[in-house]
Amino acid sequence: MDNSSFFTQKFQQKILVYKNSPSSCLLMLLVLGSAILTFSTLLYLILHITIKGIPHIQASLFSFTYTSENASVIPAIVNTIIVTLLSLLFAVPLGIFSAIYLVEYANQKNKFINFIRLTTITLAGIPSIVYGLFGMLFFVISCGFGFSLLAGALTLTIMILPLLIRTTEEALLAVPTLYREGSYGLGAGKLRTIFRIVLPSAIPGILAGIILSIGRIIGETAALVYTSGTVAKMPDSIFSSGRTLAIHMFNLANEGLYMNQAYATAVILLVVIIFINSLSYYLAKKLVKI
Amino acid sequence: MNIKTILASGLTVGLLFATQGINFAHAFDKKSSITVVSREEGSGTRGAFVELFDIMGEIKGKKADLTTLDAQITNSTSVMMTTIAGDEYAIGYTSLGALNDSVKALKINNAEASVANIQKGLYPVSRPFNIVTLGEAQNAIAKDFIHFILSTEGQNIVSQAGYIPLNDTKPFQVAKVQGKAIVGGSSSVAPVMEKLAEAYKKINPQAEIELQVNDSTTGMMSTINKTYDIGLASRNLKNQEMEQGLKATVIATDGIAVIINKNNPVENLDTKQVKEIYLGNTLTWDQVSK
Amino acid sequence: MFSNALNEKIMRGVFFATACTSVLAVVLICFFLFSNGANALSEIGIFEFLFGTIWRPNIDVYGIFPMIIGSIYMTFGAILIGVPIGILTAIFMAFYCPSILYKPLKIATDILAGIPSVVYGFFGLIIIVPMIKDFGRFLGMGGNGNSLLTASILLGIMILPTIISVTESALRAVPKLYYEGSLALGATHEKTIFHVLIPAAKSGILASIVLGIGRAIGETMAVIMVAGNQARIPSDIFQGARTLTANVVIEMGYATGLHRDALIATGVVLFLFILVINAILAILNKRT
Repeated sequence: MDNSSFFTQKFQQKILVYKNSPSSCLLMLLVLGSAILTFSTLLYLILHITIKGIPHIQASLFSFTYTSENASVIPAIVNTIIVTLLSLLFAVPLGIFSAIYLVEYANQKNKFINFIRLTTITLAGIPSIVYGLFGMLFFVISCGFGFSLLAGALTLTIMILPLLIRTTEEALLAVPTLYREGSYGLGAGKLRTIFRIVLPSAIPGILAGIILSIGRIIGETAALVYTSGTVAKMPDSIFSSGRTLAIHMFNLANEGLYMNQAYATAVILLVVIIFINSLSYYLAKKLVKI
Repeated sequence: MNIKTILASGLTVGLLFATQGINFAHAFDKKSSITVVSREEGSGTRGAFVELFDIMGEIKGKKADLTTLDAQITNSTSVMMTTIAGDEYAIGYTSLGALNDSVKALKINNAEASVANIQKGLYPVSRPFNIVTLGEAQNAIAKDFIHFILSTEGQNIVSQAGYIPLNDTKPFQVAKVQGKAIVGGSSSVAPVMEKLAEAYKKINPQAEIELQVNDSTTGMMSTINKTYDIGLASRNLKNQEMEQGLKATVIATDGIAVIINKNNPVENLDTKQVKEIYLGNTLTWDQVSK
Repeated sequence: MFSNALNEKIMRGVFFATACTSVLAVVLICFFLFSNGANALSEIGIFEFLFGTIWRPNIDVYGIFPMIIGSIYMTFGAILIGVPIGILTAIFMAFYCPSILYKPLKIATDILAGIPSVVYGFFGLIIIVPMIKDFGRFLGMGGNGNSLLTASILLGIMILPTIISVTESALRAVPKLYYEGSLALGATHEKTIFHVLIPAAKSGILASIVLGIGRAIGETMAVIMVAGNQARIPSDIFQGARTLTANVVIEMGYATGLHRDALIATGVVLFLFILVINAILAILNKRT
């Protein structure tokens, strides 16, 4: 399916096609209309944040320490990066391996496999506040991690797991069976086929899942307030408590005392997300080449 | 003309529509119904507000908060302010420390909402800020920090932050202690606590105060299970909490301002009128203004 | 390295073990939720709790029926708005989008998936609420903008990135042959997409809807800011309503004793809710 085929056709030709098939024309308009509606809303949202936030981005926002006079974002950025990396470190192998089991190994008629599928769907539907409360009772208190980046990352690991499993599954299923058969035909074992043939072809899909997960981690507040805590300082280790950018923003906005800084933080958040996304695109390209 | 240009212009038009919010200017209509906005059940601010305006009645032999079920509920100060600022017919309330000029504070019984009037006893709506410890504070730093909060120096910071300080305080005796104390709880108390912790660190640089911002109940629970050394509450303690050994100390008093939209001509309400509005008996603005 | 049979067996075990983590997580969460919620249910009474229409924690009256209705209405509204627009936009991204526009638009959707709900909440509060307020008054329905309709629109926007992203990758995963075959048979671009490719990508699209519903039901921070949160059954879409999640988040911070257990029990109801929706979708998936 070449993206541009739709556009390379002569306009008049298109009109002719649509004249002969009004329903096609209607569908086309529907698609274009939705796209315009979606992207103008999205663009407006981004503009709204940028316009409100950019005037309040000052050098002082980037000082190394946070005080009540100067709501610096640097500690929050560091915390965000630590929590994101930690969660991905746990969740990505778990998610990909689970999906491999479900797609490549599991007997699709097995009741237990269906049960596993059901639990992942269930996990996807649990509201983040419930994760937060569970994380507090289990990781913070029962496991004795205290309010810490580690407890927050573990809670988020469970939270993004279903998303990763689901998207990886889709990506694996999309790899044509021919590839596998070809690999077996050449005498490769199952593991080799999976790691050398199937996984590399599925990387773009898996990466889409990882990017969605990063988005969820960065935007998460409810699950982290009760697990990683809200301390606005540089962390000493993964056992110290710290607030991520989203919590930082939530706290700034909640009492209404620092609204300008809150919007400025939102802009910085946008930049961080763009940075992480471009990084993953870059990595994806590299990986695909190999 | 090809589809690309159509698409581009479509996006622009969509964007224009999105940025031009529909705007109908209209004069203040006294016959319009009042939008009652309240805080969440159990919030320190709401508890004090309901008690002081006597928005209560007897149900099943128990004295209960009878705020009308039609009242809009929010759990954040900034949402409260934004809602009131955006709706001509709304009424709400907020901490005096968080008041800004986007809304209008009503006089209650002809007394303006100000620190001076509360101290003189003319303005009737205020509530205590509490810190709690499990029994007597064990941690040396926590103990010293509490001494500081209750000292003349500490109380100066309280009054600079816009809250009402305690009377009869003594100057702070510097004790050379070192270590770390974890303080956490109510987000209403947190801003002033942040300032207190910073001032304390200046006097005693060897001390570390870690501040966790969440809510009164989490503060109490975490103090009971010893995660926090000092808990913060913007409400009075419940019997259940006291039974578990919590000991509360008032560190400041906070006024509560009753706020309305700036376009609303009403300037003053008496206690009874506010009560009737929140009970849902007074439904339109012409019933409370001549 | 991966060639001998022992390795194959070990890795199979590892894969199986990881697949079980999600089961373990659900079991742990269930255990925590149900053990805390059961107490409230037995004390309040299941019937009173589920079908009681009055929620006044300060006199220990706990009825969550208005919140159940609120959650159903709002999720339904969000799906009604978000799913068609999201799927159509995904079709646009996969089959119509000029290559110059593709990258910026893709990045825009990715960014939106990562914006914290609080930002969406403020956006809704400042932009959508006044629009709906004026619209409501224009229609003579009243209301002050913090309403079911506002929350549904906002949720509809919030689930867009998820639906677009998952649907698009599902559509792209359909083999090229299908498209070419259909065109060769004389179908138009549109007919091919709607009659051949969408049915072929059905499982992925359903997955996107499930994820969307999950996000809509589970969303709290943004909904709280625009929904009004009145704990009573709304009579029209211009009135405010409270969702189950809002009920938990708004009051959890202050609740103690039975009130706290009742809120956890609200979480249990939410949980069962999601199980039911998943079961329905699983059945739908099997039948078609």
